[in-house]
Amino acid sequence: MRAQPANRISPKGLKVWRLYGWIQTIILALIASGVGVLVYIFEWPFWIYPLEAVVLLLFAYFIIILFPKVRWMRWRYEVRESEIELQHGLFIVKRTLIPMVRVQHVDTSQGPILRKYGLAEISISTAATVHTIPALIMAEADELRGRISVLARVAEDDV
Amino acid sequence: MSEQQRYKLHWITALIEMLKTLKEAILPLVVLVFANGFKGGGTGLWYVDYLSFLIFGVLIISLFVSGIIKWKRFEYWFEDDELRIESGLFVKKKRYIPFDRIQSLDYTEGIFHRPFGLVKVKVETAGSSNAKQAEGELTAITKAAAKRVETELAEAKKRQKGMSAEEIGMDTPLVAPMEEMPIKEESNFRKVFLMSSKDLLVLATTSGGVGVILSGAAIFLSQFGELLPFEWMFEEISSFIKFGVLIVAIAVFLGLLGVWILSVGMTLLSHYNFTVEMNEEDIVITRGLLEKKKVTVPLKRIQSVVVVENPIRKLFGYATVSIHSAGGGIGQNSKINLFPIVKRDRVLLYLEDVFPDLHLEEPANRLTAKGRPFYYRIDFLWMLPAIGALTYFFFPYGLLSLAIIPAIIALGIWQHRSAAYGIVGNQLTFRFRGISLQTAYMKKKRIQSMEMKQSYFHRRKGVATVIANIKSGMGVFHANVHHMEVEEAERIFNWYEKGGSTSDE
Repeated sequence: MRAQPANRISPKGLKVWRLYGWIQTIILALIASGVGVLVYIFEWPFWIYPLEAVVLLLFAYFIIILFPKVRWMRWRYEVRESEIELQHGLFIVKRTLIPMVRVQHVDTSQGPILRKYGLAEISISTAATVHTIPALIMAEADELRGRISVLARVAEDDV
Repeated sequence: MSEQQRYKLHWITALIEMLKTLKEAILPLVVLVFANGFKGGGTGLWYVDYLSFLIFGVLIISLFVSGIIKWKRFEYWFEDDELRIESGLFVKKKRYIPFDRIQSLDYTEGIFHRPFGLVKVKVETAGSSNAKQAEGELTAITKAAAKRVETELAEAKKRQKGMSAEEIGMDTPLVAPMEEMPIKEESNFRKVFLMSSKDLLVLATTSGGVGVILSGAAIFLSQFGELLPFEWMFEEISSFIKFGVLIVAIAVFLGLLGVWILSVGMTLLSHYNFTVEMNEEDIVITRGLLEKKKVTVPLKRIQSVVVVENPIRKLFGYATVSIHSAGGGIGQNSKINLFPIVKRDRVLLYLEDVFPDLHLEEPANRLTAKGRPFYYRIDFLWMLPAIGALTYFFFPYGLLSLAIIPAIIALGIWQHRSAAYGIVGNQLTFRFRGISLQTAYMKKKRIQSMEMKQSYFHRRKGVATVIANIKSGMGVFHANVHHMEVEEAERIFNWYEKGGSTSDE
């Protein structure tokens, strides 16, 4: 059995994902209350209310508590001398292997929420594919970007 | 290098540009004419009645004028080892393409080009930024001018090679190698593949023929229905259904037949005289009857070779060989049919000739039985509801949809039996089937990244799906073998990892 990649992403990433979950839940809650008003106006059957509540609660549980947790537990990465290995996925666990020589460039980027938590995401591009490590501590992301770009040297003829 | 002779395109460019714009604008125009044109002279004012025709006429004229302007303002020349293009009336656009970035020149001869001995030249560069057109396009120039571009390019490349080889080389005569270069290159090409007219016919008739066969089968079935005891079941309904089915089936069949004949004709025209030539550096594909196309693929840009065996063509003993090339920037996925149709027993012969360093033996490792259920199990997710709904709404006949279950399972088992992989030295061979069987030959240094996927059920059974990502044009070609043993998947990963740092053989 192949060993899992060594590093986890920052625990703060979990917080950010929970925050995203909250935002989505609030949007859904707004929609649900809209439907609730319609039910009231048009006198649709009463059982729609509890149904809505159950759906909303389940959604909140999954998207705020369970999914971020599982996702965070799964997310692992490792940057070695000659390759980068990633592992992630909620239902389907995906492991990716990127040889350093195939890496063409590395970007870090940061939205407002990530910035508030001092996090950044890093995208590694090969000639054909782009792979992203989300929610790394900023300093770590910068250091990683530097390291990858030093290690990566592309043989020109290969693409 | 100081000859700054500026060249213009042939005047036919104006016409071609105009027709090109017209083609794009034709649909809204037709709508306009139909919506506006046939109301009949109610108003009495002629210019209101014929408004749409007026608009149409003005548009044609303005298109024609803009075509002429485009042609008039377009200039290209060679300077400082660059191909320079300048165009545009109000906004002047300059595009300088360094010769050493140019990967290949592709030629197209359309029906407008033929009478004047002209050719359209597309300049393909290495790092084409986006898929927006080719980097540079010379819409219509004479063949002599095309030759000049080629010569200029060859000279520059030669010069650069000389420069990098010996830094002192400034005083070495530049003129001598210039002249011998193009001649030498030309004589080097050897023909590796020529499609016979019989093969061409097979190619044309088997392209997209599935629909025709299916609808033909539907007609047959609806006739066959006579023998079944329909009357006994629901006399009126059944006769209605039979009648309806027959008419629909005939209409569909005729429609598909028309489309098919059209596609046969187009394939015949576009693949006529399909020839592949090569030298040490490039593969050149020439094809077409009315519109002659010549595409150059540099050998070192080829990322992987795929043999595709479509079941219908396989029936006739044929297969297709295509290649994925980096760059070119043609759409998302630049898959080029190297041998659009070739006898199956000759495939390896041809491939060996073109790609001598490819290991062409059958992929050695078949999948074990562990992964088999995964090939059809997931399909029950959509099959069961679909069958349920069909049965519920069309009660007696809906039950026929149950027949799809064994069909899907059979397909799954077929896919499982076909899947295989092989590792020989620095090469990975994947074989997998959707409907057609594909065998992808990939060198380690061409695989951009590899992925391994496992769902919860996969983990319980110890199987995994392996995906190799190959660059293809601007996009990706995913070669994947589904549901193999996890140990084997890891073996492939280890193989990929080990040699990852040493890029060449």
